[in-house]
Amino acid sequence: MALRGRHFLAGWLIFLLAILAWVTARNTAAHVLARELAELREERSAREAERAELLRRIREGSSLGTLRPLAEELGLRLPADSQVIILQQPVREPR
Amino acid sequence: MAKTEVRLRVVQIAFALGVVALVARAAQVQLAEGRRYAADAEARRTERVELPAARGTIYDRAGTPLAITQERHHVGIAPNELTDAAAATRLLQSALGLGEREVRLALRRRWAYFHGPFSAAQVHELRRLRGIHLTRTYERFLPDPDFALPVLGRPAAEGREASGVERMLDSVLAGTPGSAVVLRDGEGRVYESPSRLDAFPVPGDDVYLTLDAQVQEIVETALADALERFRAAGGDIVVLDPHTGEILGLASRRADGSQPATAFTSVFEPGSTAKVVVAAGLLVNNLVQPTDSVWGENGRWRLPYRVLEDEHPVQWATLEHAIQVSSNIATVKFAERLTRTQQFRIMRDFGFGTPTGVDVPVESRGRLPLPQDWSGTTAQALAIGYEFSVTPVQLAQAYAVIANGGVLFRPALVKRVQAPGGAIRYEHRPEPVRRVVTPEQAAQLLVMLRGVTLEGGTGAGAAMAQYEVAGKTGTARVAGPNGYIPGAYTAIFASMFPASDPQLVLVVKIDEPHGGYFASITAAPVTRRVLEQLLAARTNALDRRRLARPAAPSPTQVIAADPGVLPMVYAWPDTAGDADTASRTVPNVAGLSFREAVERLHRRGLRARVEGQGSGRVARTRPAAGGAVAPGALVVLVGR
Repeated sequence: MALRGRHFLAGWLIFLLAILAWVTARNTAAHVLARELAELREERSAREAERAELLRRIREGSSLGTLRPLAEELGLRLPADSQVIILQQPVREPR
Repeated sequence: MAKTEVRLRVVQIAFALGVVALVARAAQVQLAEGRRYAADAEARRTERVELPAARGTIYDRAGTPLAITQERHHVGIAPNELTDAAAATRLLQSALGLGEREVRLALRRRWAYFHGPFSAAQVHELRRLRGIHLTRTYERFLPDPDFALPVLGRPAAEGREASGVERMLDSVLAGTPGSAVVLRDGEGRVYESPSRLDAFPVPGDDVYLTLDAQVQEIVETALADALERFRAAGGDIVVLDPHTGEILGLASRRADGSQPATAFTSVFEPGSTAKVVVAAGLLVNNLVQPTDSVWGENGRWRLPYRVLEDEHPVQWATLEHAIQVSSNIATVKFAERLTRTQQFRIMRDFGFGTPTGVDVPVESRGRLPLPQDWSGTTAQALAIGYEFSVTPVQLAQAYAVIANGGVLFRPALVKRVQAPGGAIRYEHRPEPVRRVVTPEQAAQLLVMLRGVTLEGGTGAGAAMAQYEVAGKTGTARVAGPNGYIPGAYTAIFASMFPASDPQLVLVVKIDEPHGGYFASITAAPVTRRVLEQLLAARTNALDRRRLARPAAPSPTQVIAADPGVLPMVYAWPDTAGDADTASRTVPNVAGLSFREAVERLHRRGLRARVEGQGSGRVARTRPAAGGAVAPGALVVLVGR
């Protein structure tokens, strides 16, 4: 009877320890994932900021205000409409 | 002995009483007042905060971002928490672009603060340091701060009201803020507590405008150049697709460089550009034949209350010729065939005197007097574009009627509203308001307007060598508080391009030009300049396949030869600017870590959201792997 009582207590202790270990493992995994997620978020924000800055530079570099003086310096000018030729779609003859 | 027992008993009783008092107090604190103390403690160490939602992005019609939301940060530093102050100083200097002295002085204080705001890229390296506390905020970022300002407007800020599309669609762009409970330390500093997140912030919807960034840049540059060249007080240019009512480009500018939304709000008398409405009224009511002529009085006609004069005197003029040379006298004589009701109705049908309904927060309806309020000379004045007023957008809308075969469309600025998940919440469909003239009558009006840009017409300055432009000039006096201002004019040219099959309607308006005020030498050449740039640009605003079709030139059109110049040849079909719209396949990312899965989806041009992280690996995706989705669609990664 006494032996059964000790086994019963030991069983409960092991069960309790297992539960505690499981909860701790879950918490640890959650923390690791949360940290990873936060890092990803931060990295994404940083990349978005870089992208915005690049967008600004592209817009500035490709704007008429920047390109036109450069083109004029090189002796280029806007073509007149007669100098823009749009090719027509070739019409396929029915066989 | 007895004495000792008594003493012991007293001590025992005192001890017992003390224990009872302690238990009673504990019970009182825990049971009776427990909730109050708990709430008090909670309030002292936690705080409920609102998590701001990122504002939606505004794009042009091809997906070029015009206004985006950026995460910005204020930087707080607790110097006593820094482990390596020298390294932190160097990093702060390089990352935030601060001076060494500034950083050193700040770090001597108990709490240093740099307001910035700094971009996420700038503070990225600082996150690793202990003792650095970042406060996140969202800010609107404009890749080009002045671009499309009258249309985009600005979101509300301290001391400034919202304007433009930012105001009109504020509820759509704003998103829904989230909420969280954060922990505070003894000094009131806030620590994020991920376990107490109540609601995620939901970003705002993205808005795609009808504007074409290239068209917009061309009209903005052309307007700025024109204001400088003509030393004008201001001006507006509107480019509109007549078949859908979509505004492709819109520029408004004053001489001081400001850009108020005058294309929607500022009214002017349209002058001779309104003569075509008289012609439409005569056609609709079957009151004119192509061969009908009126006497042009050799350019000067004295009426009971006014004298009418023509810049280009004519003798006998048909309606078409009257429009071509912009004869006030002939137009008034033709307009006398209309009753007041007929004249008012056709003007109302063209949209004058009523708001267009375009997607802006403030719009002027212009002014069109009711027939019962007309004086004896109002009908004559209305016929030549006086005594009523319009906005540039109203004028463009009216000319679009002629360009599209007779239907008045509501002008539109918003092409599409898209939820963060990719769902389309709104898609613009052309909204016809009414049929104004029949297709045959619209074609007749178009023929009249084609004559304006031919040799001898007032709009010859807009003529191009290879394509025909139809349009009408207008040079109207500027009204002030005490009547017309001497020497002040508004020059307008409303046009359609190409005349054979109009794809665009342009309205160019220049306020108070100097050194020649007639529209023929101001607004008309600006129109040609804009059209030439549009032809040379790689914009999809013009359907080049339709342009390439052989046009039916007017028999009197002279095609100017320009030998010796190397032509610019465009590849056909022109697909350079086409958006990438091919659908994508959802990749199989099951078993991968979330990081790898997200990277793979991004490379495929898709967006990702993590749901149920579990072991940190992906169990499945929604939509399932192998499914076809649109570019930029959201794929949910479900953990296992």
